[in-house]
Amino acid sequence: MPRPELASPNRVVDESKGLYKSEPPPKIPEKQPDATPIPKFDRLKAPKYVTRPSKVLENKAPPPPNAVPYGGGGTPTVPYTSFAMGTGTATQAGMGFSNDAGGGNFGARFSWYVEAVQRRVSSNWIQATVDPGIQFAPRVVVTFDVLKDGTITNVQVTKSSGNASVDTSAVRAVRDSTPLGRLPAEYSGSKVGVEFWFDYKR
Amino acid sequence: MKTNRKTHMTRKLAIFAAVAIALLLCAGTASAQDWFKTGTGLGVSKVRLAVPEFGLRAPAPPALEKTFHDVLWSDLEYCGILDLVSPSFYPTQTPSQPSELKFADWSNAPASAYMVAYGNLSVEGTNLAAAGFLSDVHNPTAPIALQKIYRGAATDADARRLAHQFADDIVAKLSGGLAGIAQTQIAFVSSRSGNKEIWAMDYDGSNQHQMTHLKSISLTPRWSPDATKIAFTCYVPFRGITSPQICIYSTASDRLISFPRYRGSNSSPAYSPDGSQIAFMSSQNGDPEIYVTDAGGGNLHRITFAAGVNTSPAWNPKTGKQIAFVSDRGGDPVLYLANSDGSGVEKLDLPDMGYSVDPSWSPNGQLLAFCWRRPSGNFDIYVMDVISKQLVELTRDAGRNERPSWAPDGRHIVFESNRTGTLQIWSMLADGSQPRQLTYQGQNESPNWSPR
Repeated sequence: MPRPELASPNRVVDESKGLYKSEPPPKIPEKQPDATPIPKFDRLKAPKYVTRPSKVLENKAPPPPNAVPYGGGGTPTVPYTSFAMGTGTATQAGMGFSNDAGGGNFGARFSWYVEAVQRRVSSNWIQATVDPGIQFAPRVVVTFDVLKDGTITNVQVTKSSGNASVDTSAVRAVRDSTPLGRLPAEYSGSKVGVEFWFDYKR
Repeated sequence: MKTNRKTHMTRKLAIFAAVAIALLLCAGTASAQDWFKTGTGLGVSKVRLAVPEFGLRAPAPPALEKTFHDVLWSDLEYCGILDLVSPSFYPTQTPSQPSELKFADWSNAPASAYMVAYGNLSVEGTNLAAAGFLSDVHNPTAPIALQKIYRGAATDADARRLAHQFADDIVAKLSGGLAGIAQTQIAFVSSRSGNKEIWAMDYDGSNQHQMTHLKSISLTPRWSPDATKIAFTCYVPFRGITSPQICIYSTASDRLISFPRYRGSNSSPAYSPDGSQIAFMSSQNGDPEIYVTDAGGGNLHRITFAAGVNTSPAWNPKTGKQIAFVSDRGGDPVLYLANSDGSGVEKLDLPDMGYSVDPSWSPNGQLLAFCWRRPSGNFDIYVMDVISKQLVELTRDAGRNERPSWAPDGRHIVFESNRTGTLQIWSMLADGSQPRQLTYQGQNESPNWSPR
């Protein structure tokens, strides 16, 4: 009887090309360039001087028809209070407010009290506590209430100068002034609000 | 308040309505709070005040009227915040009560006054009454700022006192609550009785009177904060030994109060601002150092520990937590600052050589007046802002000026000077202006201004 055929495995590599192609080598993706270039900061320097139009010299708005020319008016007849603001060093020094400015008529009736408050707080403003490097600071506005007995309460910086030491010196000037003089006896209210501004200029 | 303002900015009509409603309602309700705006740049302006002579109501000795007016004028001229209008600019008609005041006459040139202080004097029997008024002549509709009747006896001393009171009230009104100093006193050392004793006088130099009669040497008087006691350095012999000690004089009972004696030399006492402690120099343990004790003498403890002399302590009157003193630990005697427990000693550097002594704090605790002997040999009063160390020289080319002492209003300084040839007490405004001599007899030194 013949031996049954044995299927011996062929150890020789089959040289025929297969049915399938080999995979191509994986593609390494190219690096994409950044969408926006890195800014070069030295080109973004601010110009050394910013020129703004002068509000005084280049204000082309016509004066109101009832305006009195400078120096030609004499003493105004409206009941208003104006303050001598030191020796011309404060930049926006002059101010006044009229009877109907929304604050009642305290300032018009008791202008001596307003001036006394201004004098007291000004004399307590220790400008030496401001940073020595600061030559000029925008206006600080501090508001506070004066109670009947002259006590100062509710001290707040409503407009900062942008510099903490200027703001602090202003608040300290107000706090050092308490108590102010009693509110005038003729005044019937229980307290008066004060808006006090400070112009710092070395 | 703020919303009120903003409303005004946008809708003026609405605020007119609000004001009208507020006026219709009882003024003073919370919704109708008044406010005002003001501010400051640099500098403080003075009020221009006219002070016409007071009218005489009843037949009275004109000497009283003259005393009253002179004292009032002198007080107001010297208060530091007023600019008095010269009497030659006054209208011919002087008011003696509010109904007689013609506002335009006073507010227009040449008087150009901002406020007018006026009134009348009346004598009934032995009583003197002064009715004082202060009016804002720029605002005819404004209420009178001050109206008050001052009463006293019809004597020169009381006319003086009433004028001082009226002046203080005016200053308090116009300076924003900081009362004047017209009723304060100055303690000082005078040798006019033969010995150096403690004297006191009114702030303007009148009413000089002797307080101690120890017939030895009394130096460096310092008021207690309630002005009832004066601590000073005394040389009272005790068991045959005479050494400088701390004595305390009571102005109320007019006698010395007991205070412990210590070994060695003890001098230059100073009350703490609350009156509970006394700092002084003592050499009881050899070196002259600064000690602090309770006002009664208990609880003695030492606060300086440095070789050399440490003396002239002065408490910061605002905080009570800082003491300025003089020490020669670095060579020359110069000023130092330390906390009241002796820690944190800091030398107050000056931009020149020489020695600095006699520290005196301003009432707000921010300025230090002292005497500085510069290498040129001058003794002059300087004021230093202790925060920024900025200096102001207050006296110059006028003899030796030493031992400053601040007034309680912070606007005046009293000191001793030999500019007339003899050592006398002078006072001036704290910016060095308006010096005036207060004493003339004998030699007077070491003034100390009383608290209010």
